[in-house]
Amino acid sequence: MARAFLRDGDRIVAVLDETERAVLSGLMEQTRLLLAPEVEPTGDAWADLVASMGGTLDVGHDDRLQGHDDVREPGRDPALDRLLPAGHRGDDAVASEFRRLTEEGLRQRKSGNLDVALSRLAAADDDQVDLDLAQATAFVMALTDVRLLLGERLGIRTEEDAESLYASLAQLDDDDPAAYAVAWYDFLTWLQETLTSALMGEPGSTV
Amino acid sequence: MPAPARPTIAVSIAPVQEEVTESDALVAPDVPWVTIVWNDPVNLMSYVTWVFETYFGYPRAKAERLMLDVHEKGRAVVSNGPREAMERDAEALQGYGLWATFEKDE
Repeated sequence: MARAFLRDGDRIVAVLDETERAVLSGLMEQTRLLLAPEVEPTGDAWADLVASMGGTLDVGHDDRLQGHDDVREPGRDPALDRLLPAGHRGDDAVASEFRRLTEEGLRQRKSGNLDVALSRLAAADDDQVDLDLAQATAFVMALTDVRLLLGERLGIRTEEDAESLYASLAQLDDDDPAAYAVAWYDFLTWLQETLTSALMGEPGSTV
Repeated sequence: MPAPARPTIAVSIAPVQEEVTESDALVAPDVPWVTIVWNDPVNLMSYVTWVFETYFGYPRAKAERLMLDVHEKGRAVVSNGPREAMERDAEALQGYGLWATFEKDE
Protein backbone atom coordinates (compact mmCIF):
# COMPACT_ATOMS: atom_id res chain seq x y z
CA MET A 1 0.00 0.00 0.00
CA ALA A 2 1.48 3.28 -1.11
CA ARG A 3 2.36 6.21 1.09
CA ALA A 4 2.58 9.68 -0.47
CA PHE A 5 5.82 11.46 -1.27
CA LEU A 6 6.72 13.49 1.82
CA ARG A 7 9.54 15.88 2.47
CA ASP A 8 12.13 14.84 5.03
CA GLY A 9 14.75 17.58 5.25
CA ASP A 10 16.46 17.67 1.87
CA ARG A 11 15.03 14.28 0.85
CA ILE A 12 11.62 13.43 -0.58
CA VAL A 13 10.48 9.91 0.23
CA ALA A 14 7.51 7.74 -0.76
CA VAL A 15 6.61 4.19 0.13
CA LEU A 16 5.66 2.07 -2.88
CA ASP A 17 5.22 -1.68 -2.73
CA GLU A 18 6.75 -4.10 -5.21
CA THR A 19 3.71 -4.25 -7.49
CA GLU A 20 3.40 -0.46 -7.56
CA ARG A 21 7.09 -0.08 -8.40
CA ALA A 22 6.88 -2.78 -11.09
CA VAL A 23 3.87 -1.20 -12.83
CA LEU A 24 5.35 2.29 -12.58
CA SER A 25 8.69 1.06 -13.96
CA GLY A 26 6.91 -0.71 -16.82
CA LEU A 27 5.00 2.43 -17.77
CA MET A 28 8.18 4.51 -17.56
CA GLU A 29 10.02 2.02 -19.79
CA GLN A 30 7.23 2.23 -22.39
CA THR A 31 7.41 6.01 -22.32
CA ARG A 32 11.20 5.79 -22.58
CA LEU A 33 10.92 3.60 -25.70
CA LEU A 34 8.58 6.04 -27.41
CA LEU A 35 10.85 8.99 -26.59
CA ALA A 36 14.15 7.27 -27.42
CA PRO A 37 16.50 9.85 -28.95
CA GLU A 38 18.77 9.26 -31.96
CA VAL A 39 21.76 9.61 -29.65
CA GLU A 40 21.26 8.04 -26.24
CA PRO A 41 22.09 10.18 -23.19
CA THR A 42 25.24 9.03 -21.38
CA GLY A 43 24.39 10.55 -17.99
CA ASP A 44 27.33 12.93 -18.42
CA ALA A 45 25.85 16.43 -18.71
CA TRP A 46 28.62 17.84 -20.92
CA ALA A 47 28.76 14.84 -23.28
CA ASP A 48 24.97 14.92 -23.62
CA LEU A 49 24.97 18.65 -24.37
CA VAL A 50 27.55 18.20 -27.13
CA ALA A 51 25.63 15.23 -28.54
CA SER A 52 22.37 17.16 -28.65
CA MET A 53 24.07 20.09 -30.38
CA GLY A 54 25.52 17.73 -32.99
CA GLY A 55 22.05 16.34 -33.57
CA THR A 56 20.55 19.73 -34.24
CA LEU A 57 23.40 21.56 -35.99
CA ASP A 58 24.21 18.71 -38.34
CA VAL A 59 20.61 18.12 -39.24
CA GLY A 60 20.80 19.15 -42.89
CA HIS A 61 22.98 16.14 -43.65
CA ASP A 62 21.03 13.62 -41.64
CA ASP A 63 18.34 11.78 -43.60
CA ARG A 64 16.77 10.32 -40.47
CA LEU A 65 16.11 13.71 -38.95
CA GLN A 66 14.87 15.14 -42.23
CA GLY A 67 11.69 13.18 -41.59
CA HIS A 68 10.93 15.52 -38.69
CA ASP A 69 10.45 18.39 -41.16
CA ASP A 70 6.90 17.33 -41.81
CA VAL A 71 4.89 18.42 -38.78
CA ARG A 72 2.15 15.95 -39.65
CA GLU A 73 4.45 13.01 -40.20
CA PRO A 74 2.43 10.05 -41.46
CA GLY A 75 2.68 7.11 -39.09
CA ARG A 76 3.87 9.28 -36.21
CA ASP A 77 2.41 8.03 -32.94
CA PRO A 78 -0.27 10.56 -31.87
CA ALA A 79 1.10 10.38 -28.32
CA LEU A 80 4.28 12.00 -29.64
CA ASP A 81 2.22 15.03 -30.67
CA ARG A 82 1.37 15.44 -27.01
CA LEU A 83 4.83 14.67 -25.61
CA LEU A 84 6.56 16.76 -28.29
CA PRO A 85 3.82 19.12 -29.51
CA ALA A 86 4.04 21.54 -32.42
CA GLY A 87 5.73 24.71 -31.19
CA HIS A 88 3.65 27.05 -33.34
CA ARG A 89 -0.03 26.93 -34.21
CA GLY A 90 -0.96 28.29 -37.60
CA ASP A 91 2.42 28.21 -39.35
CA ASP A 92 3.57 24.71 -40.30
CA ALA A 93 6.94 25.94 -41.59
CA VAL A 94 7.77 27.61 -38.28
CA ALA A 95 6.51 24.55 -36.39
CA SER A 96 8.68 22.24 -38.54
CA GLU A 97 11.77 24.36 -37.99
CA PHE A 98 11.14 24.44 -34.24
CA ARG A 99 10.74 20.67 -34.18
CA ARG A 100 13.91 20.18 -36.21
CA LEU A 101 15.88 22.30 -33.76
CA THR A 102 14.37 21.02 -30.50
CA GLU A 103 13.08 17.46 -30.89
CA GLU A 104 16.33 15.57 -30.35
CA GLY A 105 17.29 17.63 -27.30
CA LEU A 106 13.81 17.24 -25.78
CA ARG A 107 13.90 13.48 -26.38
CA GLN A 108 17.30 13.30 -24.66
CA ARG A 109 16.23 15.33 -21.63
CA LYS A 110 12.93 13.49 -21.21
CA SER A 111 14.72 10.14 -21.55
CA GLY A 112 17.28 11.30 -19.01
CA ASN A 113 14.50 12.15 -16.52
CA LEU A 114 12.94 8.72 -17.04
CA ASP A 115 16.35 7.07 -16.52
CA VAL A 116 16.75 8.87 -13.18
CA ALA A 117 13.24 7.85 -12.07
CA LEU A 118 13.75 4.22 -13.16
CA SER A 119 17.05 3.98 -11.30
CA ARG A 120 15.51 5.43 -8.12
CA LEU A 121 12.63 2.91 -8.31
CA ALA A 122 15.17 0.11 -8.80
CA ALA A 123 17.16 1.36 -5.79
CA ALA A 124 14.12 1.29 -3.47
CA ASP A 125 15.05 -0.04 -0.05
CA ASP A 126 12.42 -1.47 2.30
CA ASP A 127 9.80 -0.13 -0.18
CA GLN A 128 11.11 3.42 0.28
CA VAL A 129 11.68 5.47 -2.88
CA ASP A 130 14.16 8.06 -1.68
CA LEU A 131 14.92 11.16 -3.80
CA ASP A 132 17.17 14.18 -3.43
CA LEU A 133 15.73 17.42 -4.81
CA ALA A 134 17.34 17.07 -8.26
CA GLN A 135 16.08 13.49 -8.54
CA ALA A 136 12.63 14.62 -7.37
CA THR A 137 12.54 17.21 -10.16
CA ALA A 138 13.47 14.56 -12.74
CA PHE A 139 10.92 12.16 -11.20
CA VAL A 140 8.00 14.62 -11.31
CA MET A 141 8.79 15.48 -14.95
CA ALA A 142 9.00 11.76 -15.80
CA LEU A 143 5.62 11.18 -14.13
CA THR A 144 4.18 13.96 -16.29
CA ASP A 145 5.34 12.28 -19.50
CA VAL A 146 4.05 8.89 -18.36
CA ARG A 147 0.64 10.43 -17.58
CA LEU A 148 0.59 12.26 -20.93
CA LEU A 149 1.22 8.97 -22.73
CA LEU A 150 -1.31 7.00 -20.67
CA GLY A 151 -3.84 9.84 -21.01
CA GLU A 152 -3.45 9.80 -24.78
CA ARG A 153 -3.86 6.01 -24.88
CA LEU A 154 -7.05 6.40 -22.81
CA GLY A 155 -8.33 9.02 -25.26
CA ILE A 156 -8.14 11.91 -22.78
CA ARG A 157 -7.52 14.86 -25.10
CA THR A 158 -10.01 17.37 -23.72
CA GLU A 159 -11.64 18.03 -20.36
CA GLU A 160 -14.85 16.57 -21.84
CA ASP A 161 -13.00 13.34 -22.78
CA ALA A 162 -11.88 13.00 -19.18
CA GLU A 163 -15.41 13.54 -17.87
CA SER A 164 -17.02 11.06 -20.25
CA LEU A 165 -14.30 8.47 -19.53
CA TYR A 166 -14.99 8.67 -15.80
CA ALA A 167 -18.73 8.64 -16.41
CA SER A 168 -18.42 5.43 -18.46
CA LEU A 169 -16.29 3.76 -15.78
CA ALA A 170 -19.35 3.20 -13.62
CA GLN A 171 -20.57 0.67 -16.19
CA LEU A 172 -17.29 -1.28 -16.29
CA ASP A 173 -16.25 -4.24 -14.18
CA ASP A 174 -13.19 -3.77 -12.02
CA ASP A 175 -11.23 -6.33 -14.07
CA ASP A 176 -12.01 -4.59 -17.38
CA PRO A 177 -8.68 -3.52 -18.97
CA ALA A 178 -9.91 0.07 -19.36
CA ALA A 179 -10.92 0.24 -15.69
CA TYR A 180 -7.52 -1.23 -14.76
CA ALA A 181 -5.69 1.39 -16.87
CA VAL A 182 -7.75 4.23 -15.41
CA ALA A 183 -7.04 2.99 -11.89
CA TRP A 184 -3.29 3.20 -12.59
CA TYR A 185 -3.73 6.60 -14.24
CA ASP A 186 -5.46 7.80 -11.06
CA PHE A 187 -2.67 6.31 -8.96
CA LEU A 188 -0.05 8.21 -11.00
CA THR A 189 -2.09 11.40 -10.69
CA TRP A 190 -2.20 11.02 -6.91
CA LEU A 191 1.52 10.21 -6.75
CA GLN A 192 2.43 13.24 -8.88
CA GLU A 193 0.20 15.48 -6.77
CA THR A 194 2.03 14.45 -3.60
CA LEU A 195 5.48 14.84 -5.19
CA THR A 196 4.56 18.30 -6.48
CA SER A 197 3.32 19.32 -3.03
CA ALA A 198 6.55 18.08 -1.47
CA LEU A 199 8.61 20.04 -4.01
CA MET A 200 6.56 23.18 -3.34
CA GLY A 201 6.94 22.80 0.40
CA GLU A 202 3.19 22.82 1.02
CA PRO A 203 2.12 22.84 4.67
CA GLY A 204 1.42 19.34 5.86
CA SER A 205 3.70 17.76 3.28
CA THR A 206 6.61 17.23 5.65
CA VAL A 207 7.27 14.00 7.49
CA MET B 1 19.17 35.87 -39.78
CA PRO B 2 20.93 38.59 -41.83
CA ALA B 3 21.23 42.04 -40.32
CA PRO B 4 18.92 44.69 -41.79
CA ALA B 5 20.46 47.00 -44.39
CA ARG B 6 20.93 50.54 -43.16
CA PRO B 7 21.13 53.71 -45.24
CA THR B 8 24.71 54.96 -44.94
CA ILE B 9 23.65 58.57 -45.43
CA ALA B 10 21.74 58.80 -42.15
CA VAL B 11 24.25 57.11 -39.88
CA SER B 12 26.54 60.07 -39.25
CA ILE B 13 23.65 62.48 -38.70
CA ALA B 14 21.37 60.75 -36.23
CA PRO B 15 22.14 57.02 -36.03
CA VAL B 16 19.96 56.18 -33.07
CA GLN B 17 16.84 57.87 -34.38
CA GLU B 18 17.47 56.54 -37.88
CA GLU B 19 17.58 52.95 -36.69
CA VAL B 20 14.15 53.32 -35.16
CA THR B 21 12.51 54.86 -38.21
CA GLU B 22 14.24 52.37 -40.48
CA SER B 23 12.66 49.32 -38.85
CA ASP B 24 10.16 47.66 -41.12
CA ALA B 25 7.70 44.80 -41.02
CA LEU B 26 10.28 42.23 -42.11
CA VAL B 27 12.63 42.90 -39.22
CA ALA B 28 10.23 44.39 -36.67
CA PRO B 29 12.64 44.24 -33.72
CA ASP B 30 10.15 46.16 -31.60
CA VAL B 31 7.37 43.58 -31.97
CA PRO B 32 7.69 41.20 -29.04
CA TRP B 33 6.95 37.54 -29.30
CA VAL B 34 5.05 35.59 -26.68
CA THR B 35 5.12 32.12 -25.17
CA ILE B 36 1.67 30.59 -24.69
CA VAL B 37 0.65 27.66 -22.51
CA TRP B 38 -2.55 25.87 -23.54
CA ASN B 39 -4.94 24.03 -21.26
CA ASP B 40 -4.83 20.26 -21.29
CA PRO B 41 -6.77 17.67 -19.31
CA VAL B 42 -3.73 15.83 -17.95
CA ASN B 43 -1.44 18.35 -16.30
CA LEU B 44 -2.23 19.09 -12.66
CA MET B 45 -2.95 22.63 -11.49
CA SER B 46 -0.33 22.32 -8.74
CA TYR B 47 2.28 21.00 -11.16
CA VAL B 48 1.68 23.82 -13.68
CA THR B 49 2.07 26.35 -10.84
CA TRP B 50 5.31 24.64 -9.75
CA VAL B 51 6.66 24.78 -13.32
CA PHE B 52 5.96 28.54 -13.61
CA GLU B 53 7.69 29.10 -10.25
CA THR B 54 10.62 26.84 -11.01
CA TYR B 55 11.35 27.76 -14.62
CA PHE B 56 10.49 31.48 -14.66
CA GLY B 57 11.15 32.17 -10.98
CA TYR B 58 7.69 33.78 -10.75
CA PRO B 59 6.34 34.33 -7.23
CA ARG B 60 3.61 31.95 -6.08
CA ALA B 61 0.78 34.46 -6.61
CA LYS B 62 1.78 35.23 -10.22
CA ALA B 63 2.37 31.55 -11.01
CA GLU B 64 -1.08 30.66 -9.66
CA ARG B 65 -2.78 33.47 -11.57
CA LEU B 66 -1.20 32.30 -14.84
CA MET B 67 -2.13 28.69 -14.07
CA LEU B 68 -5.76 29.72 -13.46
CA ASP B 69 -5.77 31.66 -16.75
CA VAL B 70 -4.60 28.54 -18.57
CA HIS B 71 -7.23 26.45 -16.79
CA GLU B 72 -10.19 28.83 -17.15
CA LYS B 73 -9.49 30.66 -20.42
CA GLY B 74 -7.84 27.76 -22.22
CA ARG B 75 -4.52 29.55 -22.68
CA ALA B 76 -2.28 32.17 -21.15
CA VAL B 77 0.66 34.26 -22.28
CA VAL B 78 3.38 33.26 -19.82
CA SER B 79 6.34 35.28 -21.14
CA ASN B 80 7.20 37.82 -23.82
CA GLY B 81 10.35 39.08 -25.50
CA PRO B 82 12.51 38.41 -28.54
CA ARG B 83 11.69 35.42 -30.71
CA GLU B 84 14.79 33.44 -29.72
CA ALA B 85 13.94 33.77 -26.03
CA MET B 86 10.34 32.67 -26.67
CA GLU B 87 11.53 29.62 -28.60
CA ARG B 88 13.76 28.78 -25.63
CA ASP B 89 10.86 29.18 -23.19
CA ALA B 90 8.51 27.06 -25.34
CA GLU B 91 11.14 24.32 -25.62
CA ALA B 92 11.83 24.35 -21.88
CA LEU B 93 8.11 24.24 -20.99
CA GLN B 94 7.61 21.35 -23.42
CA GLY B 95 10.43 19.64 -21.55
CA TYR B 96 8.25 19.95 -18.43
CA GLY B 97 5.36 18.41 -20.39
CA LEU B 98 3.33 21.59 -20.74
CA TRP B 99 1.56 22.32 -24.04
CA ALA B 100 3.62 25.39 -24.95
CA THR B 101 3.88 27.33 -28.21
CA PHE B 102 5.42 30.65 -29.29
CA GLU B 103 4.09 33.26 -31.68
CA LYS B 104 4.38 36.90 -32.65
CA ASP B 105 2.31 39.12 -30.36
CA GLU B 106 -0.38 40.72 -32.54
